Amino acid sequence: MIWMTWRQFRTPALATGALLLVLLGGLVLTWAEVTKLAEQTGYTGCQGDACRAAGEAFLQALRPKWASEFHLAAIAALYLLPAVVGIFWGAPLVARELESGTYRMVFSQSVSRGRWLSVKLAFGGGVAGLGAGLLSLTLSEWAQPIDGASADRMNPLVFAARGIVPVGYAALAFVVGVTAGLLLRRTVAAMAVTLLVIVGLQIATPFVVRPWLAQPVTTITPLQVEGNYGISMSPDTGEMTLNLQPEVRGDWVVSSTTITSTGAEFKGPADMTQCGPKALRDRETCPAWLEKQNLRLKVTHVPGAKFWTLQWREFGVLFALAAVLSLVNLWWIRRRLV
Amino acid sequence: MTSALIADGLTKRYGRRTALKDCSLDIPAGHVVGLVGPNGAGKSTLLQLACGLLDPTAGRIEVLGARPVSGSARVGFVAQDTPVYAGLTVADHLRMGAHLNPSWDGALAKQRIAQVGLDPAQKAGKLSGGQRAQLALTVAAAKRPDLLLLDEPVAALDPLARRNFLQGLMELTAEQGMSIVMSSHLVADLERVCDHLIVLMASRVRLAGDVDDLLATHHRLVGQRRDNADLGAGRALVDQSHTDVQSTLVVRSTAPIDDPSWQVDRLDLEDIVLAYMSGDTGNGPDRVLEGKR
Repeated sequence: MIWMTWRQFRTPALATGALLLVLLGGLVLTWAEVTKLAEQTGYTGCQGDACRAAGEAFLQALRPKWASEFHLAAIAALYLLPAVVGIFWGAPLVARELESGTYRMVFSQSVSRGRWLSVKLAFGGGVAGLGAGLLSLTLSEWAQPIDGASADRMNPLVFAARGIVPVGYAALAFVVGVTAGLLLRRTVAAMAVTLLVIVGLQIATPFVVRPWLAQPVTTITPLQVEGNYGISMSPDTGEMTLNLQPEVRGDWVVSSTTITSTGAEFKGPADMTQCGPKALRDRETCPAWLEKQNLRLKVTHVPGAKFWTLQWREFGVLFALAAVLSLVNLWWIRRRLV
Repeated sequence: MTSALIADGLTKRYGRRTALKDCSLDIPAGHVVGLVGPNGAGKSTLLQLACGLLDPTAGRIEVLGARPVSGSARVGFVAQDTPVYAGLTVADHLRMGAHLNPSWDGALAKQRIAQVGLDPAQKAGKLSGGQRAQLALTVAAAKRPDLLLLDEPVAALDPLARRNFLQGLMELTAEQGMSIVMSSHLVADLERVCDHLIVLMASRVRLAGDVDDLLATHHRLVGQRRDNADLGAGRALVDQSHTDVQSTLVVRSTAPIDDPSWQVDRLDLEDIVLAYMSGDTGNGPDRVLEGKR
């Protein structure tokens, strides 16, 4: 069964593997450059407050280099990999057998359907996870100075292209593809549905699942008006909202709102003589007025230290989903197929 | 005599469409059994139920004394249109067979491939229909099953390829001694290889018996027109057709017919099957005849 699985699987697997190798090669070739830049800009081995400036200089120096292109390409690849695996490995796995009628040949060999599918699921899911893990962990290692300097590791976009989460996505995507093929029995339809499900999953996870998994903490601090902030206000009613970028370096900020002393969200109304286009010296009077409103900043955020906890939790959820779907597939192929 | 396949009240429905309804039959082991019937009689469904590809909606089916499951080492199956993996070579198919079947007979497979002139390095997708059928038969036969089920294996083949295929099948039965059940709607093909025949019409067994018996006991009577001929005890009317002056009857009788008012002819197997198929529409279902075994 393993020979047969490999024989049918090797073309798409080798094609995807070749693409992964190109990316891995790019990372290996640019590794020295990243390390050298980090040393030259003084970021490597920096102490305390000097690190902020050195990190900025390091990122600035990196920007025009090939390495930063490869960084983006590798992140993009880790986002595309689940779709590729689901569409080209998973969806045709059963659907093509059903379409071409060859299931009748393979099911008449001395191998039960359950075993046939479980070997294929384990093999495909395993290889997909292995490939994704190889790229992701190499990238995480490679990007360590970048992540340190930018403190961007918890950024939802970067988070799913680091550590072990990509392994979960790749394995789940494969099983989703197989499931679609098994239920729809048409390769092309299964490919389309697989794409929709995977993209939906990649969008829904950071917005819905991850905040729930991460259990963010909420901190309330007095509003410091001197910092960077944005004001949007309606000149007629004086309704205004304040947008502040909280200073929580390395954290993932899920939400940040300005609240009044009662705890409700601050919506104005503003004193039109102090703020807005009718106020003559808006730039001076408005901050002074805001200072007197006794406002606070309520920040819901996930500390950067929880990076690995969150990685394992998200991986666990994805892996559990893949396992449950696999069991459904095995039940279906034994009981419900043809 | 042991049975290769027993069905009892076997029913298979796909949604609202009934493919096989309340089918009961008993196929003896140790024979090359031909399963004949018009399109839609349920032949394919019956064979797929027998190899475990399908599960019955109702009723019972037993193959070699057990409920059929797909993946059984004892039952081989060549599906309709003889599907093969287009991307795999002939040699790959044999390797697949060797990997997936503990009872695989590699020598037999190699010998058969050479015998029918298949190039092991050729992709199966590039084979002709006849070569594909030969490959599928080789894979099924080299598994060395006790029972080999063939679902219309020659339907799509030209006469020469059909003869080669049936020739190969006969060699296999002679050498291996496996039971074979083969469906077809072409009686002429079955006549050459089968020693037992079952006519299935609308899920019912219209006729079952050893080919020699069937040939010996069926007669065509031609004579002056008469509407209600009394044939006597032990004789059954299978089919009749009348012109203004003449009646033609197909009669089953174990004893020879020596009535001088009839001209008595022997029938070949195809005539017999056709008589039962056309007789079925005119006469009631109470005429189901069971052959001696």
